Amino acid sequence: MSYAYLFKYIIIGDTGVGKSCLLLQFTDKRFQPVHDLTIGVEFGARMITIDGKQIKLQIWDTAGQEAFRSITRSYYRGAAGALLVYDITRRETFNHLTTWLEDARQHSNSNMVIMLIGNKSDLDSRREVKKEEGEAFAREHGLVFMETSARTAANVEEAFINTAKEIYEKIQEGVFDINNEANGIKIGQQHSPTNPSLPGAGNQAGSASSGCC
Amino acid sequence: MEFLKSGFKTVLGATETGQQPSAAETVEKLVERVISSTLLDDRRDACRALKALSKKYRIEVGAQGMPALIQILKHDGQDSEVISYALDALCNITAAEEFDEEADNPAVSVNVGEQFTEMFIKVHDHVTLVMGYLEEYDFRVRRAAIKLITTLIANKTRDLQEIILVSPMGVSKLMDLLTDSREVIRNDALLLLIQLTKGNSNIQKIVAFENAFDKIFEIIQSEGCSEGGIVVEDCLILLLNLLKNNSSNQQFFKEGSFIQKLSPMFNITPETEEADWGPQKVSNIHCMLQVVRSLVTPSNQQQVISSCQKVMRKSKILDSLCSILMGSGVPPDILTETINTVAEIVRGDKENQDQFSKVMAPSYPPRPVIVVLLMSMINEKQMLELRCAVLYCFQCYLFRNEESHKAVVETLLPSSEAEGSSHSIGQLLCAGLFSTDSLANWFSAVSLMHGLVDSVPQKEELLRVLLATSGRSRPVTLLEQCTNLLQQDSYKQQSKVGLLMLLCMWLAHCPIAVKTFLSTNGTMAYLTAQISANEHDENEYLIQGLCAFLMGICIQFNDNSLPNQKRNDICQLIIKRIGQETFCNKLSEVSRHESYSRACKQPQIRTKSASDLLLDYEYCKLYKGLEALIAKLVSGFDVDGIELTELTLSSEASALVAQYKGIIRDLDGQINTLQQSSKKLETKNVELEHKLSQIQNLNTQLSDQNTLLKAQIGAVQKGTTTSGDEAAVNALNAAQFQTNLYYAENMRLTQELESLRKRLENEVQLSKTANDELQKLQKDQEDLLELLTDQETKIARYEEQLRTAGCLIENDDDSENNGDTKYNEVALNDNLVAAGLL
Ligand SMILES: Nc1nc2c(ncn2[C@@H]2O[C@H](COP(=O)(O)OP(=O)(O)OP(=O)(O)O)[C@@H](O)[C@H]2O)c(=O)[nH]1
Ligand SMILES: [Mg+2]
Repeated sequence: MSYAYLFKYIIIGDTGVGKSCLLLQFTDKRFQPVHDLTIGVEFGARMITIDGKQIKLQIWDTAGQEAFRSITRSYYRGAAGALLVYDITRRETFNHLTTWLEDARQHSNSNMVIMLIGNKSDLDSRREVKKEEGEAFAREHGLVFMETSARTAANVEEAFINTAKEIYEKIQEGVFDINNEANGIKIGQQHSPTNPSLPGAGNQAGSASSGCC
Repeated sequence: MEFLKSGFKTVLGATETGQQPSAAETVEKLVERVISSTLLDDRRDACRALKALSKKYRIEVGAQGMPALIQILKHDGQDSEVISYALDALCNITAAEEFDEEADNPAVSVNVGEQFTEMFIKVHDHVTLVMGYLEEYDFRVRRAAIKLITTLIANKTRDLQEIILVSPMGVSKLMDLLTDSREVIRNDALLLLIQLTKGNSNIQKIVAFENAFDKIFEIIQSEGCSEGGIVVEDCLILLLNLLKNNSSNQQFFKEGSFIQKLSPMFNITPETEEADWGPQKVSNIHCMLQVVRSLVTPSNQQQVISSCQKVMRKSKILDSLCSILMGSGVPPDILTETINTVAEIVRGDKENQDQFSKVMAPSYPPRPVIVVLLMSMINEKQMLELRCAVLYCFQCYLFRNEESHKAVVETLLPSSEAEGSSHSIGQLLCAGLFSTDSLANWFSAVSLMHGLVDSVPQKEELLRVLLATSGRSRPVTLLEQCTNLLQQDSYKQQSKVGLLMLLCMWLAHCPIAVKTFLSTNGTMAYLTAQISANEHDENEYLIQGLCAFLMGICIQFNDNSLPNQKRNDICQLIIKRIGQETFCNKLSEVSRHESYSRACKQPQIRTKSASDLLLDYEYCKLYKGLEALIAKLVSGFDVDGIELTELTLSSEASALVAQYKGIIRDLDGQINTLQQSSKKLETKNVELEHKLSQIQNLNTQLSDQNTLLKAQIGAVQKGTTTSGDEAAVNALNAAQFQTNLYYAENMRLTQELESLRKRLENEVQLSKTANDELQKLQKDQEDLLELLTDQETKIARYEEQLRTAGCLIENDDDSENNGDTKYNEVALNDNLVAAGLL
């Protein structure tokens, strides 16, 4: 499958907030009602289209449990985007956001796009964190914000796609150094024998769609 | 040595002449100097000397010098030279291998390096300290640090992996080393990563996340792919570490389109000659094949396997591997591994299996590659590993593919097109089955067996297979031949195991095959004799177990259509001749045999010696599914042919129930036969009707012709009277003759028609009576069932009464009443008997 760009994402946040469910809903359009504790890290992938360009998302879903913190830290560097998730029905997961954010900022590259996500919006009756609080936190720390439900799939597509749009815009603005793979961005391969030159930045690479590898 | 001595002199100052200090003393002085000297130059010299001594006197240097060396690492970071000496010295101390220099030192034990490693890593910070020097750009320092960490990981893999995982960005730092432009560093880093990634999926995932796949392929390509040197092999070993049993990484590998990058590496030009297969290339290709297998091995997640198989077809890896199979001069171990790899790429994937079956070998005449492979499998002179690989490949080709099963069985059927050629799959397998090489027997039996897994239609088709026998008038069926072979003493144990597995698979779930088997002379007698024999050899036990299982299948899948060979008859045979317990014991011999647990583990065929090849994976699956069922069935029968399930009933009642059951069972049998005969009559009816209408058609045709001829005659007669032409008269005669003929034929046909009509009527009548009888019997059975239920309720009620009566008696503690109780019981029994007579 050819793609114009490849973005690496990570999903972080306390245990049980629904990180794995969000990924599963995004890649398989399924919901998993039982909490299947993530051990270490799991991988998932999907293709999306932005601006008529194919973009491959490679997503690493990390374990929220404290015991795995040192492992998950290894994934900050090298990710272009992060979904920072809390559970709107459990205030403590919201309170921990600051710690998560510090951790992320410390270990990631400065251009990493962070999307703040208040998950389980379907459980409005058990809500402990108001939507406005999430918005305020995001504004204060320069994050994009959304409430989602991995169960009903509400806003799940949007969360992943909007993050990709942010990254894409940053590339257009030239903020990201796309030739440095440590940034979590790759340009799609163009395997045409007549054009062996390395793909340049931006538009030209984006239009490529022929290579099969 | 001169250099060393002069070195010591400069470090230690002049020693008293004539008195050589012992090694321990020298080391002690050096350590003292490292710790206390305020001059960097001094410390550096002492460190260099310690390093020089660390091979020959590693115990002394390790025991006394470790803290000093660590102190250098902590405080002298700004001087690359002294750091590199300290790192080198530590590396020597902790090395696992024995140095030449210390070969004559008896104090050095085998695991001294490991013990020093343990001492060093006790404080985790020491490892972090060394990791820090990886970031030092200086060649000597970086290289020494890499070497030391590699040594530490090799000695204490688990501990080091944990320490590195928790040290901030530990794995990432190690990964960065791969981008060092100095090849030596990069290559050492590869070796480090190979050690680091062993058996730790968390580290494997981080390494993959850090773009390891990209980097590995870059290196492989820059080193010349499969033609490259040992660095290519190192890269592939690392790749294998990252992929093996790690589904997350396998998915990432597939999603990252890296399978496609493997493809060109298998493009080995067809004109490649033996000479081109150097040892390094053999190792490289071998590793690449293993990388491919790690993605599609049957123990992986099904979803990963199928998606990888698809990509491997599309990216032409399957094609390339098939051409390696056909290539000339391919070394045997590469050939073997290629066959195994092809096997796993096609396993359970219809399109891949189909593509594989169409590959033709460049032989004269051209033959399917499968046929050529099978020829090797039954060839005694081929390597064992190769023959096993072919069997595995053939099994994978058949796995979950009804069509390929059919294709195999078809080559054995008389009508088959391939009949003429002596090299069809079926013919080869038969040749293998009847060969004198017991391994060929086993391979062929197992191959054929895999063509029957889960496909009853093929089991039935295989019953039709006939074998031409030389010098005998009647051809024998394959099934007969198998039972004959089984009873021949010259047929070896291993061959018999194969054959018995084939028979079990063949008969399981296929009543027609059971029936055919049972009607073959001597089969039951043979099985009974085997099972009840007194054997002492472990493999004989296995054969007994297989025989018991086969007999069990004959009971389980018996449709009770053979007189004297019904379920009950065989169970009685077991009870009387073998004993139920003995039978069940023998049955479990199969799972007790050591080859059972070996075969159960994985579909791949792993064996070191030919004689270990006994049980097969698919067979074990069959056995696992049926063993308990058969054991229960057999032990549930009692002497009178009653399944003992109503253990709660009194003996009279259960006898009664059994009686009814017997009746019902017989009725069942009758119904079955009647249904069958009714079905037969129906088909016959249809046939006759068809014939009738054909004849009627013919009849009308003939009468039309008749009319036409009559008209012609009339015309001719007219002609004759007017012209009196000789020729016309002749024609007339001829026509009349023909008419007569037609007339006679017409008569005959009308008669035949009439008789057929009669026969049809008869048959219809017969079928009607059969149906009537059937209905009557069904009604009878229903009545009986009703009666049975009725009886059971009654029995329950009586039992209840009996119990109450018993209670009463107990309450009333009078001996006189005992007589009454007895009386009650008798009366109850009378009632039961009366009920039974109803
Ligand atoms: N009602 C509702 N339940 C959700 C939603 N998302 C997740 N859950 C439930 O929350 C529980 C935890 O979800 P996971 O996705 O496994 O949590 P996680 O964040 O991956 O947890 P760790 O792997 O331990 O870090 C599960 O029982 C889910 O069914 C949601 O949007 N709505
Ligand atoms: Mg999870």
